[in-house]
Amino acid sequence: MDILKVEHVSKRYAGHTALDDVSFSIPQGSIYGLLGPNGAGKTTLIRIINRITAPDQGKVWLDGREIAPEDIYKIGYLPEERGLYKKMRVGEQALYFAMLKGLSRREATRRLKEWFVKFGIQGWWNKKVEELSKGMAQKVQFIVTVLHEPKLLILDEPFSGFDPINANLLKEEILQLRDKGATVIFSTHNMSSVEEICDHITLINRSKNILSGEVNDIRHRHGNNIFQVDFRGDREKLRSALEGQAMILEGSEEDTIYNSLKIHIPSNAQVREVIGFINDQVEIRSFREIIPSMNDIFIRAVAGNLADQKEQ
Amino acid sequence: MGKIGIIIQREFNERVRKKSFILTTILTPLLFIGIMVVPALLMKLKTSGPKEIAVADASGIIAEQLSNEGQLRFLPKDASLEELKAQKNNGELENLFGILVIGKEVMENPRDVQLYTYESSTLDIENAISQQIEKIIEEQKLKQYDIDSLPQIMAAVKTDVALTAFRIDENGNDKESSSILSMGLAYVFGFLIYMFVFIYGAMVMQGVVEEKSSKVLEIMVSSVRPYELMMGKIIGIATVAITQFLIWMVVMFIGGSLAMQAFAGDLAASASTMPGAVPPGLEEVNPETIAAIKSITDIGFLVNILGGFLVYFIGGYLLYAAMFAAIGSAVDNVADTQQLQLPVTIPMILALIIMLNVMRDPHSSMAVWFSMIPLTSPIIMVARLPYGVPIWQLVLSITLLYASFIFMVWVAGKIYRVGIFMYGKKPTFGELLKWIRYKY
Repeated sequence: MDILKVEHVSKRYAGHTALDDVSFSIPQGSIYGLLGPNGAGKTTLIRIINRITAPDQGKVWLDGREIAPEDIYKIGYLPEERGLYKKMRVGEQALYFAMLKGLSRREATRRLKEWFVKFGIQGWWNKKVEELSKGMAQKVQFIVTVLHEPKLLILDEPFSGFDPINANLLKEEILQLRDKGATVIFSTHNMSSVEEICDHITLINRSKNILSGEVNDIRHRHGNNIFQVDFRGDREKLRSALEGQAMILEGSEEDTIYNSLKIHIPSNAQVREVIGFINDQVEIRSFREIIPSMNDIFIRAVAGNLADQKEQ
Repeated sequence: MGKIGIIIQREFNERVRKKSFILTTILTPLLFIGIMVVPALLMKLKTSGPKEIAVADASGIIAEQLSNEGQLRFLPKDASLEELKAQKNNGELENLFGILVIGKEVMENPRDVQLYTYESSTLDIENAISQQIEKIIEEQKLKQYDIDSLPQIMAAVKTDVALTAFRIDENGNDKESSSILSMGLAYVFGFLIYMFVFIYGAMVMQGVVEEKSSKVLEIMVSSVRPYELMMGKIIGIATVAITQFLIWMVVMFIGGSLAMQAFAGDLAASASTMPGAVPPGLEEVNPETIAAIKSITDIGFLVNILGGFLVYFIGGYLLYAAMFAAIGSAVDNVADTQQLQLPVTIPMILALIIMLNVMRDPHSSMAVWFSMIPLTSPIIMVARLPYGVPIWQLVLSITLLYASFIFMVWVAGKIYRVGIFMYGKKPTFGELLKWIRYKY
């Protein structure tokens, strides 16, 4: 079931279009990457989902109903620009935000204590925010975002400002929240983290949705039939033998201790044939398709070079 | 508890716990009491030791008749200025404060009087000396007319008018009134409103700018509506202001009555024994003073004034705070607020200037008009209150004030909603007006 559905949403500001007929739906329990270059319209879209602004056209559905004011209790939002009251104490501040999200003081205190223990920051309760380092404040901010146990979490660049250890801690927490039933919208520029944790993505460029789908599916779909063969034997011999069968690609081969070649095979039907041919020439140690990284796909999509891309 | 309630609570707690709030809340009434008490204390402790003045009187008329007054001790000397200076220098007249030189023809030429002092002299000393000399010369001149029983005639002629003022209210009852008290109250309360609206209005603005520049707003607006956020802040700070005002009133009342007790006796005593030198209004226990004391102890009068003050303070504060909030939302840092603040500060300053006029003529058409216009009415009407204001004017003025507050909150809410997401360029007034029409 889809927890969130964005239908033909458009938003125009004086002078420019922030979103142009954007549609996608987010399956319950997924980690959904919302990608796009700077200024593509991601923040506007997030604000519309958060009900901070309203779309000019289109609708947003949450849990099968059109989104309503009280739905903000079901959403947790971690904005890219982190902000806390600098002069306020950490505990009081976390309580304040939790109460604004509809928790009672007692319940909020209980949950906060749990989270503080989990993150090993029990000693910070009475510290002022201005005494915390950036990473420390980020942790507090994350706790504030998830404390009311929202069904839908919107995290805008959640890992920025964290060291690898804390980033990993955060990743584990996000995955755990997902396992407990939360759905996560994950907005980022960091493509390797998308590959790591997202199962679906939508790529927005110049206010349009240009690519949506499952991550694995997209990566396979956009594989260009490029294969790497590692082998024992004479490289030049194979090279000349392959002439006419497949295109040899120049460029560095990926990690291998064997001789290796990157080749492009024009159609899938030919793959078995080519393998047989290579097998006659050299001793194959490995043969695999090179699947494009999300980073490649992102760059190609934004440049407008994807084969099956929607019209821009 | 609603969300606005939670926000109000935070605003209140955060500000009331601040050191600066505690300090100003304690120090300001102390300062006020100081301003009231110190002059009285000074009068009591004025005698900083006698001031000896040697008199070189060439006319031979004045010196003998000068009487020691206050700290002044006159020493008639049969010597010239130069000789007296020499005596001071060689220690013969060590404690000399000054030398008074009176010309030979002083009766014909009263300008021929000089005072030389070793320390700076004061206006009080100079006035006391010239008054005495004037009186002596006048008496001398009168004597030359050879009028029989002159002292008796002079005593019979001397007159002191004591005017008691009454104000007739709508019911035809008259009541003693004190224009000095009215003026004092008008001034103090008008100024208090000006101060409160500015200080606390600016606090709203700073709060908004701080939330915007620290990006707290980004989180806040995902849980509360911008309108709730703005109203929570405005009302929260209003509760801080009212708390502070009430604390001040209580402290001033207690401090004031203690001071009254301590000094009332002294004042009455000094008023009867030393005429002339005391500030105007306290020369004697005159009808003005009695009326003032009667008014200030009249509970109905006090409730009127304080109630009016609170109604206008709250209305004025809300009106201006909404404007300050809109300005705060439009900029990224406090430094950028200067120019946008002009339309807010100008009516306030204008009101303060008009207030000074209103105190002289509280029922002029200017006074009436400006006590109706919502941007100036909080100051002007509060200044008019002690003089008595017709009920219809009061009702109209309060209605206008609160109606325009509601309108202003609506306008400010629109600007605020757009402004809090605008970063970078400082907007112009034209742009602010455009924001009002943005739809969200």
